[in-house]
Amino acid sequence: MADDKKAPDPPKPAPKSPGFWRETWVRFRRRPGGMLALVYVVFMALVAIFAPAIAGTKPVMCKYKGHLYFPAMGYFNPKWENPIFQKDRFRKRYTPAKFKEKDPDSWVIWPLVYQDPFRRVGGEEWPGQPENPTGADGSPSRYNWFGTNQQGKDVFAMMVHGTRIALLVGFVSMGIAATVGITFGAIAGYFGGWTDIIISRLIEVVLCIPALVLILALLAIVEKATIWHIMAVIGLTRWTGIARLTRAEFLRLKQSDYVAAAKSLGASQLRIVFKHILRNGLAPVLVPITFGIASAVLLESGLSLLGFGTPPPNPSWGTILREGRDTIQQTWWLIVFPGLAIFFTVLAYNLIGEGLQEATDPRLRSDD
Amino acid sequence: MIHYFIRRLFVGAITLVLITFLVYALIRMMPGTPLTIVQAVGDPSMQMSEADQKRLEKAYGLDKPWPLGYLDWASKVARFDLGNSLSRKEPVVRLIGRRIGPTLLLTVSSLVLTYVLSIPLGLWSTARSNTIAERTVSMLLYMLYSLPSFVAALYLQILFAVKLEWLPLRGMKSIDYADLSAMGQAWDIFLHALLPVICFTYGSLAYYSRFIKSNMQEVIRQDYIRTAKAKGLTERSILVKHAFRNTLIPLVTLVGLTLPSLLSGAIILEMIFSWPGMGTLFFEALNERDYPTIMGLTLMFSVLTLAGQLLADMLYSVVDPRVTYS
Repeated sequence: MADDKKAPDPPKPAPKSPGFWRETWVRFRRRPGGMLALVYVVFMALVAIFAPAIAGTKPVMCKYKGHLYFPAMGYFNPKWENPIFQKDRFRKRYTPAKFKEKDPDSWVIWPLVYQDPFRRVGGEEWPGQPENPTGADGSPSRYNWFGTNQQGKDVFAMMVHGTRIALLVGFVSMGIAATVGITFGAIAGYFGGWTDIIISRLIEVVLCIPALVLILALLAIVEKATIWHIMAVIGLTRWTGIARLTRAEFLRLKQSDYVAAAKSLGASQLRIVFKHILRNGLAPVLVPITFGIASAVLLESGLSLLGFGTPPPNPSWGTILREGRDTIQQTWWLIVFPGLAIFFTVLAYNLIGEGLQEATDPRLRSDD
Repeated sequence: MIHYFIRRLFVGAITLVLITFLVYALIRMMPGTPLTIVQAVGDPSMQMSEADQKRLEKAYGLDKPWPLGYLDWASKVARFDLGNSLSRKEPVVRLIGRRIGPTLLLTVSSLVLTYVLSIPLGLWSTARSNTIAERTVSMLLYMLYSLPSFVAALYLQILFAVKLEWLPLRGMKSIDYADLSAMGQAWDIFLHALLPVICFTYGSLAYYSRFIKSNMQEVIRQDYIRTAKAKGLTERSILVKHAFRNTLIPLVTLVGLTLPSLLSGAIILEMIFSWPGMGTLFFEALNERDYPTIMGLTLMFSVLTLAGQLLADMLYSVVDPRVTYS
């Protein structure tokens, strides 16, 4: 402007505008509901990680014959259970009495609650704790906080260990759904033409096929369905909404100036798609992904309730509900507690989704 | 306009063929056939001989590879014949016809209830926006929206059927239904339907009233609302006549999209209440590998889904003259 005249004030550097994620976080933090929900999810994650230390019958840590062992790791993977206990004939029952008998110098850190998600705890295992009741006698008591199921397994222990499944189902299946959905949506939106028509048809077809047919048929393909198969199948059936939204975003963004600029600079198509468009189009997709996590949790418990969940020794919340439904006349505790857990989890993800929606909505950005 | 819808119909027909083809392939690839599944649950004395099984397979057309089976099914459908159920030995159409009533009873009463309750609720929460009462109601509705219907169903069953014994636990009719008077029969079905209808309704009630409220809040910022206020109209007349009418457009499209769920029912809810509707039929047919019934139901659901989308688009252009398809 006026470089030849007297030196004007140097142009003030504009204050660095906060990045997208930072701004979203600042706006999200203002919502008490969303923050509470976030705290709940973190709490759930902690419960899932420390499940064996909260409820279990295997020592979290013990000093036995001069060495430190962590038998509770066996809850994550049976192979991680130290072989020495097998050799010393613990027969998978760790009791204080056995430790004293086999090694008087040993010391043990036990889980907070001596109950097992996979079997009924017997009478002689923990000093002063009676054998778990079964059937209609298993109402909540001081030994079984949430009662026991038909076989006398402790519901609290099952739910604590089931948290891992509830958490994994949401994140793994939605991770798969997001990958598939964003890929398809991006391809359809960016390339357009025939590719778009074919992918849009595919989306419509997947939307129209009854979800249960698709899920059951896909599950039937594998011989023995594990929780991982169920997560994969839920992910492979829930990507359509994400794909539609990504497609719409790509349709909009590929017309924008910076894409034209990148093209004229000779950027490769891959670079334009992933580096330029995807980073800008990701924000609106985040919201349906969060809501999708809620619906995945719901779907898994629904499937378990219908009897298509993971095979038995698995303590998913929906499986407990199914047992409760079969004996609804007597065993209310098999329904009330897992039902609450499912409700809170779905509510938490919905609140987070809503918080994200408001935090990323550009229409609300300018007014504060 | 006409061209647009003809093209939509054409594309929809192709989609239908694709869907039914895929579903047929999927269900034929599931392990077990209608014959083996029935045997697995029946007692051993009912076991079929090898020759009998071959004969039945031939009679049902299961001996052919599945693409041919699909062609058979499709050519029958083109002649308006959905075939016979394999496990129940009766035409699929009649089977569906028998189950459609109970499902409609639940879904239609729930839809009517939803509209009757959610419109006043949405208007009320717009008018009383940000008061303590409105915030409490909104929060409760939001929690209801997150409460899974099957959890609610089980809770209501424990409370009203097991503990209080006010309402029946499951089914649609009492055992002595046939002996009741006409009024008694209606009352009996009413009692049985009460809990399922509540479970069908509360979620959509929460969703619809939030939906109406958020649409209303966008509309009341418009200039013509300010004009109406400046003219000195009453608040009620502004809300109902000027604002609400303009939020009908998204509401109408929602109606089109709920069409398929009216007939499909909800598998989990119908299973929990042992309700003899479409959801239960679908579930049973899947378990029995009753291919014609599954296909008939799938065809019906997909036609309804596609028709619902088309209807939503058509209604959209009817209620909003600015929208044209050309």
